[in-house]
Amino acid sequence: MIKIEKRNDVPMALYFFTPFIAIILTILGGGIIFYILGFNPIEALKFYFITPISNLYGFSELLLKATPLCLIAIGLSFCFKSNNWNIGAEGQLTFGAIVGGGVALLFYNQEGFYILPLVIIAGAIGGMIFALIPAILKTYFNTNEILVSLMLVYVSKLLLDYLVVGPWSNPEGFNFPETRQFSDSSRMPLLFDGLRIHSGIFLALAAVMLSWFVLYKTYLGFQIKVSGLSLKTAKYAGFKGKTMILVVFMISGACAGLAGVGEITGPIGQLHRMISPDYGFTAIIVAFLGRLNPFGIIFASLIVALTYLGAETAQIFLQIPKYTGQVFQGMILFFLLASDYLLFFKVKILNLKKNELRH
Amino acid sequence: MATDLRISNISKIYPGCIANDNVSLQFKSGKIYALLGENGAGKSTLVKILSGVVSPDNGEVFLNEKNLKLSSPLDAKKNKIGMVFQHFNLFETLSVFENLSIDATEDNESLRVRINEILKKYNFSIDLDVPVLNLSAGQKQKVEIIRCLLRSPKVLIMDEPTSVLTEQETEELFISLKKFCDEGILIIYITHKLKEVLSLCDEVAVMRKGKVVSVSQTQNERVETLANKMVGQKLAKIKKKINISKNKDEIFKVKHLNFYSDDPFETNLVNLNFSVKKGECLGIAGISGNGQNELFQILSGEIITPDTSIIFRNKEIAKLNPKQRREYLMAFSPEDRISQAAVPELKIYENVALNNFKSSNFFEKGLVNEKKIKEHSKKILSDFSVNTDNVELKSQFLSGGNLQKLILGRELITAPELLICYNPTWGLDVGAINYIHETLIKINDQEKSTILISTDTEELLKLSDRIAVIYKGKLSKIMPSEEVTPEKLGVLMGGGSID
Repeated sequence: MIKIEKRNDVPMALYFFTPFIAIILTILGGGIIFYILGFNPIEALKFYFITPISNLYGFSELLLKATPLCLIAIGLSFCFKSNNWNIGAEGQLTFGAIVGGGVALLFYNQEGFYILPLVIIAGAIGGMIFALIPAILKTYFNTNEILVSLMLVYVSKLLLDYLVVGPWSNPEGFNFPETRQFSDSSRMPLLFDGLRIHSGIFLALAAVMLSWFVLYKTYLGFQIKVSGLSLKTAKYAGFKGKTMILVVFMISGACAGLAGVGEITGPIGQLHRMISPDYGFTAIIVAFLGRLNPFGIIFASLIVALTYLGAETAQIFLQIPKYTGQVFQGMILFFLLASDYLLFFKVKILNLKKNELRH
Repeated sequence: MATDLRISNISKIYPGCIANDNVSLQFKSGKIYALLGENGAGKSTLVKILSGVVSPDNGEVFLNEKNLKLSSPLDAKKNKIGMVFQHFNLFETLSVFENLSIDATEDNESLRVRINEILKKYNFSIDLDVPVLNLSAGQKQKVEIIRCLLRSPKVLIMDEPTSVLTEQETEELFISLKKFCDEGILIIYITHKLKEVLSLCDEVAVMRKGKVVSVSQTQNERVETLANKMVGQKLAKIKKKINISKNKDEIFKVKHLNFYSDDPFETNLVNLNFSVKKGECLGIAGISGNGQNELFQILSGEIITPDTSIIFRNKEIAKLNPKQRREYLMAFSPEDRISQAAVPELKIYENVALNNFKSSNFFEKGLVNEKKIKEHSKKILSDFSVNTDNVELKSQFLSGGNLQKLILGRELITAPELLICYNPTWGLDVGAINYIHETLIKINDQEKSTILISTDTEELLKLSDRIAVIYKGKLSKIMPSEEVTPEKLGVLMGGGSID
């Protein structure tokens, strides 16, 4: 018989260490999968985790992919810490990209220093507005934010689809489902010639610093922390619960919107159907792997970004589908949850004699 | 057949605490045994061992000289050891009969016949086909007892059975227990209520810090002697001096308090009207679940009800939230100290910051002023003799009594004009209870008022100047406490009426 007991005292150090255990287990698990598929596991893992970042270009790609993940996860940490389960960051990202992209398209044939800031702000506001929908429905109509935010992802994706094949499609684009190219004034400045890493990374870093400050040094952060641990206490202390739900969703939506804008004004340069390889969903894993801690999230976003890159490299060199990236992301989450479970609970195996097993 | 239960050298060690230290006891049928002790004395662990929930590290249990292996509750059942826990294990939405048939081995018809026999024999009146949620606590307990009786137990263990009962229900329970005892069932009665031990039990074993400190005949004991054995020190008696508050101003006045809820597990409140004078303690008695939760939340501002008028120090505050009410110098100590009044995962100073009144400057311009909060917390810890001075300690490591002191300290440090507390001594040991009671009396002495919502009648009689009873969401008339007796309260709490 197996008995599960809660551990009383979980050391904090171990709490921040388990993500590393999860990563090591993921790598081991990946090796086993590659072995079963008939590849040399060491070699395959090398293609996955080392080759992609063995040169400067690869490293810039890593930062490029980590940027949106980090931004979104930072936003999500506000929601998750306060017990609001916003899982629709992908939708907020898409809607932010639509609004920001719309502004960029307005200025498609103009130049000016003011254009990029306008586009960025528009994107953030877009994400914010889209996140407000589940938040308002939750606070005033008692809906479940998990369902609403998730379903809105498909709404925004379909809206984007409609726009790029319909009203916003490039008139000179031979009916390809994409908009015009944005003008250079709407593009994120590149940091280095020949590399795709762009100044959006500063937005992510600013978000990290700002979120650390807000979460740990302000009254809002304190309220978020208390509400996350006990809603009953938050109510008793007289925190304005509804306002707080709206605020955390707005922060989270704005971050996702920024990530969306960063993608379309950065590496993509226009709107089309595939502006995000599910960054909004993957960022949920990043947020938890980073323990909802701003600096943990930086680290987690780099690791998870590597699974994207690794998958692409593996596709090229080993001819395995790039969706193995998702397998790795899934494994990270699985091992993280499992090690957390074992961290907070202990499993006792009780010895029973044969005749007692009948019960 | 006579039953003989022997516990021999039982030890159980949890990390950081010895729950049972070499406990040996002997029980014989025909008598009712009391197991007396404060919270954390080891009673519950011992009972869990007897009922197979916990395995001891050492020691043995013998029933009629047979060595019992109790490795699961099923083993206890098989060996005819029945157990009624303090918290009922019933499915609220199933009927009484369905609850009883869940683990029965016979078919429904013969089960019903047997249940009816038991009902008749012991004069229990329970409708078998109503959902359990419609039953009173006393009736629910009877269902649990019937469940044990169906298995014709040799031993029946009752864990704090009267904590949710009215005086009448308690008396009925005692009559039933005496009957069971006469029929040869060995009864072990676990409690920390001294008077019950004296009125019901034949023999009493007192536990303290995991050890049995005394076994004696109850006829040789008095309340004071038992209390001293239980606490291990001489208790100072505290008695409130009657407050002459007849002509004082009303500081707090509630009019037309109504509350309707769609939730069947909440209680509707019907037109409550009352007021509190300066320096007075208004007690509100009642069995839990009669609307106290809802009342507390409305008084604290967690629930805002339309049409209610709450006047505090000549201002209408009915629409204000708890934080705003605090600014008017109200303070609140909820019943649930572990998941409402404080957050166990937070550090002491963070829990102190929950009472963020304006002049505290805990948060200046939206920023956390950690230094201020910590200074303030240190002061609370020392002023209210919490047994730590480490404000960085997570509050989950405080005992119930120390946590309650911290909460009261946090609420009182603003020198509030009115403190509303709900079961402030629930689950605490005698030492902590005394401390809390002294504190509450001191507040009244300083001309500040209190509203004490409590299910403990002894506490209410000790502390209140006037007492009202809440029953099914309605408030009885408010009586001066000199005119109130425990019996009167019991009648009102059970829904009866007095002249």
